[in-house]
Amino acid sequence: MAGRLLSMRALPLRVSFQKASMSDMRSIIGNREIVGFGYNGQPNYADRPDFPLPAIRWKESTADIQALREKEKGDWRKLSLEEKKALYRASFCQTFSEMKAPTGEWKSVIGCALMLMSLGFWGYYFMKTFVYGPLPESFKEENRSAQLRRIIDLQVNPIQGLGSKWDYEKDEWKK
Amino acid sequence: MFRTTAVRVHSLVKGALNISKPSVTTTRFMSSHSTETDEQFDARYENFFNRKDIDGWEIRQGINDLCGHDLVPEPKIVVAALKACRRVNDYALAIRILEAVKDKCGGKVNEIYPYIIQEVRPTLTELGIDTPEELGYDKPELALQSVYDIH
Repeated sequence: MAGRLLSMRALPLRVSFQKASMSDMRSIIGNREIVGFGYNGQPNYADRPDFPLPAIRWKESTADIQALREKEKGDWRKLSLEEKKALYRASFCQTFSEMKAPTGEWKSVIGCALMLMSLGFWGYYFMKTFVYGPLPESFKEENRSAQLRRIIDLQVNPIQGLGSKWDYEKDEWKK
Repeated sequence: MFRTTAVRVHSLVKGALNISKPSVTTTRFMSSHSTETDEQFDARYENFFNRKDIDGWEIRQGINDLCGHDLVPEPKIVVAALKACRRVNDYALAIRILEAVKDKCGGKVNEIYPYIIQEVRPTLTELGIDTPEELGYDKPELALQSVYDIH
């Protein structure tokens, strides 16, 4: 324990709780233009339907994107379809329809669940064959009918249960 | 950085309080139940986007706030936001706003979204903005590998 305390002092102090400072974020996001508050105030990018406009643009500012930005200052009707799409992709990674496209994950979930269920069934079959002993004698059909005859003879639950359904005059089940 | 954020949030709040001064009920941040009427709400956001000196940061903040409410924005708010995008020269922002409005329609997108586009169409032709459908962004265009599948 003393050894562990001594080695803890050797750790750099800034590791655990210091928030990422602006210079750290700049080195992470590079040249990207910070354009908004985003969803938590940090200059990060996330495609979220509930916060449609992230804090930074998606792509870093390069020369051709700068050229597009100059053209964007003019009439938007003069932009070609490719230029419009390029402007969109420069600011955003995925469109809404790409964000919300179904992944098909449900198929793998159902598949894995059924496979695990089948393992369970195999496990039970193995236990029944090799581990469990035989069922007692009282489970046989003739033993069970003899037990039922005895229950009726003892008039068990004669008011609302099994005895009430037996006709003791005619010695058969009530119709 | 947080000081600039606080200044911007402060100006957004100030704008909100200034606009609703002439009316009887104002938005005070005291309880979660607001006494603002629908018209006041619409007017507040429309006036916010119609500010001449708005910049990209404030537009994004306004749209993110607007999408936080449980409603589909009125066409006049969308019009104001699109005109604000024109003032800051950001085309991708305009397309994103239209996509966000379509997403806010939820299950009733086939009833509500065509109405909004119909109301907004004069502004779209005036500013030269395409709808996401015209750009081909109503269907997925590119596929992105999920980060959970990258090993």
